Amino acid sequence: MILLQEIIHQLYFLMSAVVAVLLVGRLFRRKTRPGLAYDIVYAYALIPFVLRALHIK
Amino acid sequence: MSRVRGERQAGPAAERAARGLLARRLGLLAAAIALMVAGSRDIRALRADRETVVVSEALTRRVPLSTYFDGIRGTLMDTPVFLFDSGVPGGSVLILAGTHAYEPASPVMAYVVMENIAVTKGRVFVIPRANPSASRLGMLGNAYPPFFRVKTPWGEKRYRIGDRETHPLEQWPDPFTFVHYPSRQNLAYQDSRNMNRTFPGRPDGNLTERASYAVSELIRRERIDMTIDVHEASMGYPVVSTYVCHERAEDMCMMAAMVLSAEQFPMKTETSPKSLRGLTHREVGDYTQSFAVLMETPEPFIDKFVGPMTEELMLTGRDEFMQTAADRGLLYADYDIKTGATLDYRVGRHLAGAAEVIRQMGEFHPEKRIEASWPGYADIMKHGVGFYLHDPAKADARRVFVN
Repeated sequence: MILLQEIIHQLYFLMSAVVAVLLVGRLFRRKTRPGLAYDIVYAYALIPFVLRALHIK
Repeated sequence: MSRVRGERQAGPAAERAARGLLARRLGLLAAAIALMVAGSRDIRALRADRETVVVSEALTRRVPLSTYFDGIRGTLMDTPVFLFDSGVPGGSVLILAGTHAYEPASPVMAYVVMENIAVTKGRVFVIPRANPSASRLGMLGNAYPPFFRVKTPWGEKRYRIGDRETHPLEQWPDPFTFVHYPSRQNLAYQDSRNMNRTFPGRPDGNLTERASYAVSELIRRERIDMTIDVHEASMGYPVVSTYVCHERAEDMCMMAAMVLSAEQFPMKTETSPKSLRGLTHREVGDYTQSFAVLMETPEPFIDKFVGPMTEELMLTGRDEFMQTAADRGLLYADYDIKTGATLDYRVGRHLAGAAEVIRQMGEFHPEKRIEASWPGYADIMKHGVGFYLHDPAKADARRVFVN
């Protein structure tokens, strides 16, 4: 049970890292909504995912 | 039309536009990283912080909590346990502080005990930070400072404020509903990380349950006669300024409350409800041989209706909204904004509250008598907490510990 909890716990860090990578990818390469406002949203939304993936917050 | 324009732009102009777009996005990414680094500075400082304590010469042993249960070894919950053993047979007491980190008069009280204690009979165990993980987290949405500073004759000493629950970096996700073990009572989801809802603990449970189990194991193996769990309460909560005691300890708590109320400050007593599971005053009493006692002081800082949650509010407890609530009879303890509820007052209450209930245990059970001394309520109110905290720079290095 402890091992299972630990796996699930670590999966959350992994998921945060995956979402962060996806957001960076979409910041630079996307086909729709190319405007500045969307660039800002993609860059800003990245912050909590990186902080979680790096075990900071 | 757009295709025609696109065709016209294919060439140097389009290349310039693409380069401009790339530069803009790289700039935004750099800005986000800068914001991340700057914005997380306090978070990283709180996470890495270590408090210093200069223990008294009465210290005989310091062991990690994992000595009593290996299931927390290597985690942030493997907190140090300090033992002050007189070598003379008598009773034993555990002062369990920092169960809820955002009630900081609790660990500060433990540090004052550890720095000044003298024991001539029996044994005193102290855990100053029962949930070290919670002490490295701020409460979401409350926007309060990560630290507060206590003035001492030699400078300032800094302590963490912390949160109520274990940090999500140690334990996540929360369940939809937390089912308490072993009662199977359904509790709020966040209580799975609340150390005062996870007793008596579970050896194969989540990290907070395992840490609670380690404390229960310490109490059982060391045959602790009395466990005092030190807390603070919001003033809109009925058990503020109260001992909450397991029914086996209620006589000594009632006597201690009467003595304190007559001689020092108002103190109430309540018997632990049997239907409220997971709390130390219930589960330690039910699942160990120890007399279980929990103490609460008034902490305006954690009331929901106060103004800005500043370091000053933490130290003084003065708040105009609290006064309005007091004027309307909404509080469960006396309150006057002129005196507030200072850290000195709260720590002094805890020091005297612990000393008196330990003394009462000796009156009711002479074979469990403990003779230990530390600064009392009057001492703290006269000199302040800082007077009793020693300078680690000038202390014998063997007596200085970080926590």
